[in-house]
Order: sequence, then C-alpha cells, then structure tokens
Amino acid sequence: MANLRTCLAFLFLCCSLCDAVYEDQVGKFDWRQQYVGKVLFAHFESHSQASKKLILATDKNIVASLNPRTGDLFWRQVDKAGPEGHIDTLLFHGQDAVVVTGNGRLLRSWESSVGALNWEMLLDPGSFLAAVLVGTQDSVKFVAVLKKATVSLHYLSNGHQKWTETLPDSDTVHYQAVYSSGGSQLFVLGVVPHSHLSIITFNIEDGEITKCNSAPMLSLRVCILVGQGVLICADASTLSLYMLPLSSEEPVGLQQVPLQSLDLDLALGFQPVLLTTQPNPARPPLAQFFLQLGPDHHVLLQLSDGHLSPLRDFQPAFLVSFATTGEKTVAAVLSPKNETACSVSLYSADSGRRLLDTTVTIHLDPNGGKPEKLYVHAFLKKDDSVGYRVLVQTEDHTITFLQQPGRIVWTREEALADVVTMEMVDLPLTGTQAELEGEFGKKADGLAAMVLKRLSSQLILLQAWIAHLWKLFYDARKPRSQVKNEVTIETLARDEFNLQKMMVMVTASGKLFGIDSKSGMVLWKHYLRNVQPNAVFKLMVQRTTAHFPHPPQCTLLIKDKETGLAALHVFNPIFGKKSHVTPPTLSRPVLQSLLLPLMDQDYSKVLLLIDDEYKVTAFPSTKNVLQQLQEMASAIYFFLVDASQGKLSGFRLRKDLSTELIWEVVIPPEVQKIVAVKGKRANEHVHSQGRVMGDRSVLYKYLNPNLLAVVTESVDTHQERSFVGVFLIDGVTGRIIHEAVQRKARGPIHLVHSENWVVYEYWNAKSRRNEFSVLELFEGTELYNSTVFSSLDRPHLPQVLQQSYIFPSSISTMEATLTEKGITSRHLLVGLPSGAILSLPKMFLDPRRPEMATEQSREENLIPYAPEMPIRTEWFINYNQSVTRVRGIYTAPSGLESTCLVVAYGLDIFQTRVYPSKQFDVLKDDYDYVLISSVLFGLFFATMISKRLAQVKLLNRAWR
Amino acid sequence: MASPGGHGGGAVSTRGGGGTRRMKWALELSLGNTRQFPVPSCRSRGDRQSSQGDTLYPIGYSDKPVPDTSVQEADRNLVEKRCWDVALGPLKQIPMNLFIMYMSGNTISIFPIMMVCMMAWRPIQALMSLSATFKLLESSSQQWLQGIVYLIGNLLGSALAIYKCQSMGLLPTHSSDWLAFIEPPQRMEIMGGGMVL
Repeated sequence: MANLRTCLAFLFLCCSLCDAVYEDQVGKFDWRQQYVGKVLFAHFESHSQASKKLILATDKNIVASLNPRTGDLFWRQVDKAGPEGHIDTLLFHGQDAVVVTGNGRLLRSWESSVGALNWEMLLDPGSFLAAVLVGTQDSVKFVAVLKKATVSLHYLSNGHQKWTETLPDSDTVHYQAVYSSGGSQLFVLGVVPHSHLSIITFNIEDGEITKCNSAPMLSLRVCILVGQGVLICADASTLSLYMLPLSSEEPVGLQQVPLQSLDLDLALGFQPVLLTTQPNPARPPLAQFFLQLGPDHHVLLQLSDGHLSPLRDFQPAFLVSFATTGEKTVAAVLSPKNETACSVSLYSADSGRRLLDTTVTIHLDPNGGKPEKLYVHAFLKKDDSVGYRVLVQTEDHTITFLQQPGRIVWTREEALADVVTMEMVDLPLTGTQAELEGEFGKKADGLAAMVLKRLSSQLILLQAWIAHLWKLFYDARKPRSQVKNEVTIETLARDEFNLQKMMVMVTASGKLFGIDSKSGMVLWKHYLRNVQPNAVFKLMVQRTTAHFPHPPQCTLLIKDKETGLAALHVFNPIFGKKSHVTPPTLSRPVLQSLLLPLMDQDYSKVLLLIDDEYKVTAFPSTKNVLQQLQEMASAIYFFLVDASQGKLSGFRLRKDLSTELIWEVVIPPEVQKIVAVKGKRANEHVHSQGRVMGDRSVLYKYLNPNLLAVVTESVDTHQERSFVGVFLIDGVTGRIIHEAVQRKARGPIHLVHSENWVVYEYWNAKSRRNEFSVLELFEGTELYNSTVFSSLDRPHLPQVLQQSYIFPSSISTMEATLTEKGITSRHLLVGLPSGAILSLPKMFLDPRRPEMATEQSREENLIPYAPEMPIRTEWFINYNQSVTRVRGIYTAPSGLESTCLVVAYGLDIFQTRVYPSKQFDVLKDDYDYVLISSVLFGLFFATMISKRLAQVKLLNRAWR
Repeated sequence: MASPGGHGGGAVSTRGGGGTRRMKWALELSLGNTRQFPVPSCRSRGDRQSSQGDTLYPIGYSDKPVPDTSVQEADRNLVEKRCWDVALGPLKQIPMNLFIMYMSGNTISIFPIMMVCMMAWRPIQALMSLSATFKLLESSSQQWLQGIVYLIGNLLGSALAIYKCQSMGLLPTHSSDWLAFIEPPQRMEIMGGGMVL
C-alpha cells in the first residue's frame, strides 16, 4: 500500500514537473538543420525527366538524396559512425544506388526515389578494393566486387551472388581494379611491385578464368580502361603512358608512349591522374580520357586505332569532369578567371571543341576555400543543345549548385556536420541604444553640449520608436505569411530579453560560422586555410558586446597536433571579421590556455598561454595587463593534465610570468587512464548557498570554484576487474577531496560538473546496464567562511553523498542547463543515441532521495528513491526532430531567468529554448490579451455609464 | 397591566385604574419632580406602581428618589466596573483566541492566515489607540492599574499571535529563512587549465 502511495506521489510529481511542446509551438522557438558531410561520391539521377535527384555518399557514412532545385534533403540514410559504416563506393544505375560499406562488409542497394533499402548482402570477409557495374547485351545486370583475394559477381536486382572466385597468387599480387567493357568478360588488374602487371580475365557467365595476361612493368601508378578494352597506364618516373590491349588473343607487351612525343610539356613533380568515363556500363568506355599533368594542367587525349593523340590542352584548369546525356558526352573544365571567380566551360568529348554559350561563372567567396570537386549534370535542351548544371565542392566542404550562366541555385555548408566547439555571444545593441550608451563612454564637454547631446539622442530614440510603431501598423495589415523578418548582419540587434544570440561555431575543417540563433541563418563564414585536419580548437570570448564602443572579440586557439605549434585567430564574433589586434606569435608548443577575469583598459580579458617550458605568454600584453598580472600573480594557479603519463600537476604564476610547480598527483597509467577532467563553468551562478532541510535548518553546499572532477577508467577491460574511478581534486592545492571507485564498471563515461554536484554515467559491466551516479558535496550545517572562498584555507573536508540509478538507454552526451542568476532549478540535457534530447530534472538525481518517505523528506520535496530512472517522451525537448549522432550540447543563459538556450550539434544542429522551472517570469504564450483588455475596458465604461446614470437619478429624486 | 407611554398617559391610567383602588386620590407633597420627561423612568415607575398597587399618583409625581450623594457613589462604582471591563477585555479574549488557534491548525492556507492576521491586528490596533483608551479610563481611580492591565492583555494577545505565526512557520527564525540573502563568497584564487591540448 505504501509502495502504491509512493508510486502515485511519484507519478504525480512527474506529471507536474514536465510539459512537452504543444502542437502549435512546433518550430516556433526551435529549428533543426540537417547535414550530410563532405561529399565523396555524387550522381545525378537523370533517367526520367520528371524526377531529378542528386544521390550523394559522404564521409559521414551517409547516403542521401537531395532536391536539385532547393538543396533540401529528400531522404538520408545514416549508417554507423566510424570505419564500420564507411562508404567504400557508390554505384548508380537507374533507380538503384548500390553502396559498399565497412571496407567491403556489406553490399546494399537503395531505392533512389524514397530511400528504401532494396536489398542488403553480407559479403565474404576481405578488404575491399573496387566495385563496378557490369552490363551485358546493353543491359546492366550485375555488380562485381573485387576484394583482396576474391572477386564476386552479384545480381543487381536482388543482390544474390552469381559466382565468387578466388584470385590466384593473392599474397604476391596486389589487385587493384576491376573493369568490364560490356562484353562477356571481366578484367581484374593486379600488380606485382617492381616486377610485372597481371591481368586476369573472367567469364561473366560462370566465373571461369579465361585468360591470364602479364606484362613487365617496373613502377606503376595508375591505370584505366579506355575504348575497346585498351588499358592505359601512366608512369611518373619514365614520363610515359603505356598501352596494353586486353582483348587481343596473343600476349602482347606494353606499348610505351613517351609524353614528349605527344608534345606535352610537364611540370616538375608530375603526379599523373587519369580520368575516363563509361556512360553506360553495358558498353565500352569512351576512347577519350583526361590526363592531369600538373595541379592546374589537364589534357584531353584520344585513343584511335591504337594511337594516342592529344585533343586539347587545358591550362590553367583546376578540375575536369565528364558528363553524359543521351548519346552525347561532354567534358567540363573548370578554369580560373581571376582572383575571385572561376568559370566552367563545356567541350565536346569527341572532338575537344568548345561548345558555345556554355560558360558558368563561379564567384568564389573570399572567405571560402578553393574548388575541390566538380560534378556535372548535363541535359539536352529542346533545341538538342547541351545544357548543364554543376555541383562544386570546395575545400571548406561547401557544396554549391549552379546553373547557367552562373546563378547559384543553392549552397549547403556541409562543414557544419562536424562542429567541434561553439560559443554564444550576445548581439550588439541597436544604433539608437548604442547612441545612448555612447553618452556615458565619452568625455564630458560642457553642460550645454551634454544637454544638447542628450536631447538629440532622445529625439533619435523617439524617431526609432515611431518608425517601429509605423512598421507594426504596416505589417499588421499584411497577411502573416508575407511578413518576413529578414535577418541580415546590419539589422542584427539584441532583443528585449536577450533571447537571440550569435552562435559562433568552429568546425573540424577549419571553417568558422556565425549563425543567428533565432532563425538558424548563417550570417557570416570564414574559412581558415592551412588548418590541419586533426587540429585542436579552443574558442574563448575575450570581450563581450557589453563594452561599447569596443567591438566584441573572440579568440580561437588552433593547435596542430603534429608539430604542437599553436596559432591564435582573433575575430569579431558578430561580423566574423579578423580583428586588427595582432596576436602574439607562439614559437613554442602551447600546452593550455587560461582566460583570466582580469581586464585590460579596453575591457578585453587576459588570455594566458602556457608553453611546454611552463612559461606564460599573456595576450593582450600591454603595460597595464602586465602590471595587473604582477599584482595578481600569487593568486593565479593553473593545472595541467597529462593523460598519457597519468599526471596532474598544479602550477602557480610568478611575478616574472614563469611558473612554479606546487603539486603533483600521479594516477598510475598502467592501472587506470584519465579519460576526462572537468571543472566548473566560469559563467555559472549559484543563487542559493545551501539547501533547506525539512526541519528548516540549512545544509550548506560545498561550492568550491576550484574543484576538478577527474574520471579514470581501468586499463584492464575484463568485466570482473574493470572499474571507473572518480576523483574530486582541488585545482589550487591538489588536495584530493573525494575519491570513489565504481567496480565492474566501464566507459564511455559522460560527466557533468556543476554547483556542488557531479553526475556521471557509465556502463555497469556486471548487470549489463547503463547507470547514472550522482555525487553531491555539502559543507554541513555551518559555513566555514561565508565571505571569501580560499582553497588554501579550508580545514574541513565536505560531506559527500552519492546515489546511483539505472538508466534505460546509453547516452551520447550530457550537459546541464544554465540560467542568468541560477535561481531556476537545473535540468540535465541528455543526448541519446536515438537522436532525442532528454531534459532530465536534476531533482531525480539527488543523493538525498530517501528510501522511505518521511514527513521531513516530504517537506523538502524529495522524491522517494527509485532505482529506475524514467525516460518520458514528454521530456524530449526536440519532440520528433531527432538530432542524429549528437556529439555536444551547448547551453547558454538568456536575459530571462527562466529560459536557457540550448544548441545540440552532431550531424544535425538543433536549437531550442528550455524552461526548467517553467516560464515563471513570462506571460503564457496563449495569454488572452483580448479577453482581459476587453473585460477591463468594458468594466471601465460600465463604471462611467453607471456613474452618469446615478447622477441623473439623484437629481431627479431631489426634484421630486 | 401595561401602562401607555408618555407622562400624560400615565395620569390617565392612574385615573382609569383608580376604581379598584382604595383611595380616590392622594397628594404627596414631597419634593417636586425635577425631571419632567424621563421617558424610561416613567415606565419603571409605572411598574413600581403596579407592584405597590395601593398608591395613586398625581400628575408630576415621581417616586424616584432625588439624585443625591449616595447615587453619585453608585455611579462611580459603575464607572469603575466599566473601566475594569475595558481593561480586562483583551485578557478575556485570550481563551477564545486560543480556541480559534487550536481549531485553525498550522497549515498555511487562506483561513488560518486570515485568523492570524486578525489576531495580530487587533492587539496592534488597540496598542496604537492606547492614548484614546487611557482617556476613557481617566475617570477611574485605578486608572494606572487598569492601563497596565489593558496593556498587558494586548501584549499577551500579540504574543499569542506571534506564537501562532511561529508555530505556523511564518517567522524568519531559522537560518533557512535568511539563506536567500547570503552572498556567494568571493573567490580568492583564479584557477584554470585542463588536459594538455
């Protein structure tokens, strides 16, 4: 009975705690953008005129279909992340997109119109080398897959294997490619390094080896099949092309064609790349092919009657591509026009003749990258001439779809599929607000001038207000759908409650984005060239928008993993422009950075960079800053965690900006390794210093701002011996405040550290389930020192409470909500692998939850302990807008205490607002203004009328 | 026998009812009636007449004794009594308040709050108008004692209200009530860092 009652109480609490989004609120405060990642393969579906689609396969293991008119996703199939789902190749024929994934693990066919899976086949083990569509008698029926030791042929219609054959001498011969030219033969090309070339011919019908050719070849780069079964290979060392007819009956040697004989001049460091095209897999490839001679030099060659001849020389030309429509095949060549533009032109593949009126001009974004890949979609116009559209992918992973004569149809910023870190920055004040603010910033120049200035600024305010009213009036007459609030970088201004912010996103490709948090529009982008692919980023806001007229300032620390050298990129987060402030050049590898609350004269916070000799560089390093640093030096501490050595070390700054080691904690790396270290967020406010108990006394929180939560995992991963360790260490003194070991537990561990609590999630290897554990620290019923907190003077250790709960799902990431003053209760935002984001009240993760409800615990609103943590679908803040592969959640406070802004990023980006304690400071969204005001006015008029009537009546009575 | 109102009526009734009396009339030449129209006393006189039953009064007769010094003495006693009533009023209310307190319970809802407010407000109001009450008590000889008793009674009443507030938990006597005013402590050290990048 008691159980039932607690259950009921619990249910009631749950119901009262949560509220989901109403139907009409969908998309009102939130938006989601879906991305696919860097394009690896792209095909245009062009078999029917009506339904045109663009099929893509990307480095994020995604097969997707885009609408070529708008750039929107038709469908998207997301495979497992990592090498297991890596897309090896994408072949496209008719309605079928055939994909080999996971290094030849699976062969799949997707239906291109709706994205349904036609079939899926598990392939034999072995690393994948190549796959090709095989056609016989003018129809494409098979897919041939070449692996390290086998070649197999599958039906295109159902994926069943027709035959599989073991390749001879697979341990010595490196097989490279598989070709078919429409006949009944399948060629497999292999190379024995520094010896010879081996070509094996299979019969398509039964997989029988019909012929084994070999030709001596010392060094080999690339080979392609051209025309009626002629193999063309290019060799850089001899500067020659080699030809080998495959179909000839008698063995023939390679025929060498020196490039000089073709009148081709070569650049230094010639790296040959050959490009051919096979418009229909059931027919032989074209006799024309491209040879790349240099980075901007291509030549179109033709093979006719066993002779190679150059058709046309393209220089400069960055990218070349073939495209086929009907019977016509054209070559598209992208060549630079000037500094900021490129042009694409079409040439007839047969003759190398330039087609008239086929130039598309591409204007390059000066803040973007160079074109990297070119995909051309050619089509026949009504007058039988060839029209085309181009898909250009640039280095910064932007894909742009253009049509003649250079109009951009759409652009997708695929770099946003890989956001590394982000910050939210307040928008600047409007011009009028800034005008008022400016009054305080400037020096006083006489009373009269001040008065005049004040009057003029008030006048401007009045003018702006009238303009605003006029706009409201004007917009009110229009239907709602037509009113569009165009957000441009000029009209950006802070709103009343600071709910709209600028999201500064740093992506792995090195491209920075400024996104408006309200609409999700990309307002600026900036591509950082020469950022290494594995670079580490750290983004810091040095100056916020609060210091008008000084512009806000962000600093991005980019560290190259290989050299260890770091660079600083200083920019304005609102406009994305590089700041004129010159950052210090860092000659030594940087280990860590530290943003101090100290400010320079121009209100930029001081950034300290610690190099590998433990010396400190300050940025900005003006006299003022150095003086402040000297004064403050003895109070500045920093810690470094070296996970490889299992060493945590604490340093103190000296006056001469060198450092001294003051503590060191070694966690033996042969037993356990440090996986995460988390301090508290610098902008976190805690409003309540304690918790009120049932008897109305106070349990004071242990709010140590220098506390670090260090999580370790055991090196031994056996389920009986594995463990997870949690250490709470004071970052100033190195004192271990608490350590806990969770036996038979394993990672991956997700950790949130805030206020006086640490929540972490781990895998319980014994019970085979995910568990949450919460640690809460209390100082006791007495405060040791209520005015200042110094880690050096804390004689008493805090009381630590801990409780664990079962969570029914694994999680991807976790973050806590954050509000302006910290009055609102906290929720945990948990990103689930299903793409949902769960807003879990911290109330459920409270180690003071009692086993049995008592009077006092009820007074405290403590929920009785239940080991299972519920996942309620109303708690999903993103309802059905799943965020695929969520990697991080960023929370930022808004101007309203009740509201916290949330951005979840992963493959998709989702932005919304959450109200952990509901909107206690805002009128409800459906507040009936009309009713209330009409009742008020009605009552007002009723009073007026009845007053008048009463007067008349009194007068009449007096006359009687 | 109800006597009709008015002194004239009184004369009529005496006459009308005289038939049953022994004497037709009698004149009592005692002191003249100073109060001509004491309306309530007229009725009481009539009552007394009927109880005596054997006297017939002439017009203008009054059997009420003439106010003299002895009457003045009784009045003073009355004033004294009245003053004591005023002084003891708050004390007398305490048992009632206790009962209300007991009945209303310690839950915080609108009715107990209203009761507590009333209980607290009445003594405060009384204490505020203390000078007026003192003026009222001026005529009494035990003015100071009564004043003190009155004050004590009101203080007790307000103490009771405070006790009620206390038991309802409305008084900020616990450390938790001042929790919201504790400023976050200032941090003395600046710390930062992290994993080696």
